[in-house]
Amino acid sequence: MGLSRSVRLSVYRALICMLLSAMAILFAFPLYWLLISAFKSQAQIFASPPLWVPHPIIGKNFTDLYRETNLPRAFLNSVVVAAGSVGLSLFLCSLAGYAFAKFPLAPGHGKLFAFVLGTMMIPSAVTLIPSFLVLVKIHWINTYWAMIVPGAVGAFGIYWMRQYMSANVPNDLINAARIDGCSEFGIYWRIALPIARPALAALGIMQLIASWNSLMWAFIVLRTPDMFTLPVVIYLLQGEMRTPYGMLMAGGLLTALPLVVAFVVFQRQFIAGITSGAIKQ
Amino acid sequence: MNPQWITQVRRYRHFYLFISPFFLLFAVFGLYPLLFSLYLSFVKWDGMTAMQWVGLGNFRRMLDDDILRRSLWNTLIIGLLYVPPMMIMAFVFAQLLNAPWLKLKALYRAALFVPCVTPMVVIAVVFGVIFSPEDGVLNFILQRIGHLLPFLHFQGEIPWLTSEDWSKVSVSILVVWRWTGYNMVLMLAGLQGIPADYYEAAEVDGASAFQRMWHITLPMMRPTFRFCGLLSLLGTIYMFDEVFVLTNGGPGTSSTNFGMYLFNISFDQFKFGYASCVAYSVAIFVFAAALLVNRLNRGEQEGA
Repeated sequence: MGLSRSVRLSVYRALICMLLSAMAILFAFPLYWLLISAFKSQAQIFASPPLWVPHPIIGKNFTDLYRETNLPRAFLNSVVVAAGSVGLSLFLCSLAGYAFAKFPLAPGHGKLFAFVLGTMMIPSAVTLIPSFLVLVKIHWINTYWAMIVPGAVGAFGIYWMRQYMSANVPNDLINAARIDGCSEFGIYWRIALPIARPALAALGIMQLIASWNSLMWAFIVLRTPDMFTLPVVIYLLQGEMRTPYGMLMAGGLLTALPLVVAFVVFQRQFIAGITSGAIKQ
Repeated sequence: MNPQWITQVRRYRHFYLFISPFFLLFAVFGLYPLLFSLYLSFVKWDGMTAMQWVGLGNFRRMLDDDILRRSLWNTLIIGLLYVPPMMIMAFVFAQLLNAPWLKLKALYRAALFVPCVTPMVVIAVVFGVIFSPEDGVLNFILQRIGHLLPFLHFQGEIPWLTSEDWSKVSVSILVVWRWTGYNMVLMLAGLQGIPADYYEAAEVDGASAFQRMWHITLPMMRPTFRFCGLLSLLGTIYMFDEVFVLTNGGPGTSSTNFGMYLFNISFDQFKFGYASCVAYSVAIFVFAAALLVNRLNRGEQEGA
């Protein structure tokens, strides 16, 4: 006599839960390791057998970090760059997206939109050097502008905002506002933008991740320690000879924490933002 | 000029005003760089001294560039090492997380997805410690497994980052860890887009789970697979942060992929002309390849 169907089903389901839990632990492990290593000494980080739980908990890495790097300044730089690039990108992408969504009869509308989409195919590797040279020419090297402006309006952001606004902002509302004498910008600002809040959240999160984590571009355009963002500071802590791993871990934890916490709190918006790319199929 | 056209343009002037920031920024940071980069492909220039016109010299030089060839080879190997396991895992996880009876979905999804929001530089540092040959936690665990299962004849002490044979594997593990959750979420969105009545109808007709997978899920997921595949193709070729921080392309050039190589010749050796030439050539090649794959896919779909 075989097992009944319901018993087999629950065994099967329990196995799947176990597999998923194991994988979840495996995927979360490096972050756990980051967390506990930040509270270990250099010797403890490389102890064999490994210390699974730090004991005693050591705060020295954080005080060292505070003494040897200008961490508050780097944090401030990262925040300014992230706020600037999220703010500017949301404003410009939604403005253009609104225009493409609500002025379909403007001459050249179709061609201009196709052009915008076409720019998505240009890989940044090709434009990297000349973009850098432009920044040199306009004296933007080592400024926040260099981190904020070049990536502010992407074709994808415009596309994303257009899709949302053409589906969700009612034309009747726009026409009524126009009859009431609202300016075109006022209609965008007071009617379209509030309705598009979910789309703005998703796009903003995407931009935030890209900006907060940016390493290569920051490495190229930022020159002096007072302008470095967190990823650059962390990267430069790695010495040629001896790397202070404890400090690296502490700094890494402080760099990763804001985004990880934000992710845990706004999980739904994060995932909407990151999968937004897939909508276009 | 047609006067009617002009009145239309005037009437819709806000449209042009609203989209102008994009075109302005694109002109400065997109179009101009694109054209200038094309010009640079034909010159020799270090960014400081005068440019020197070399005609097709850069292209000729590219053909005998051993390091370029090796970087493209490494890119291919890294891609082959990480894309299949990542895609398969992402699809399996998406399939499991799509089960209606599963509890704690948000927790599993968060754990698999959180690597995508973690700064690469931080992750690479952590992996550097985990991969450490003598006292890294990964080798420790592998040694324990080796003790438990002696028939595997497994010694442990894999030189993850210090050997030319293993560096590509280490980079691939890092990439799988970082991007599986991302692909999983994309695939989950794809799975949820398949109408439920397809499955209900199939069940009524007595289709087995395997048949449902083969005849409904896989064909319906094709656009998602294609999208993930395209992202992986671009991600592999232009991958930079992962390699830069974990191995810096080493030991030797064993893990130097194309993105790393391009960065080196641009911002380490300041060969702006040659770098532009290489970037352009590879971009055109990749674009053509993507177009070809898309065309083949479409033909296949129409044929089916």
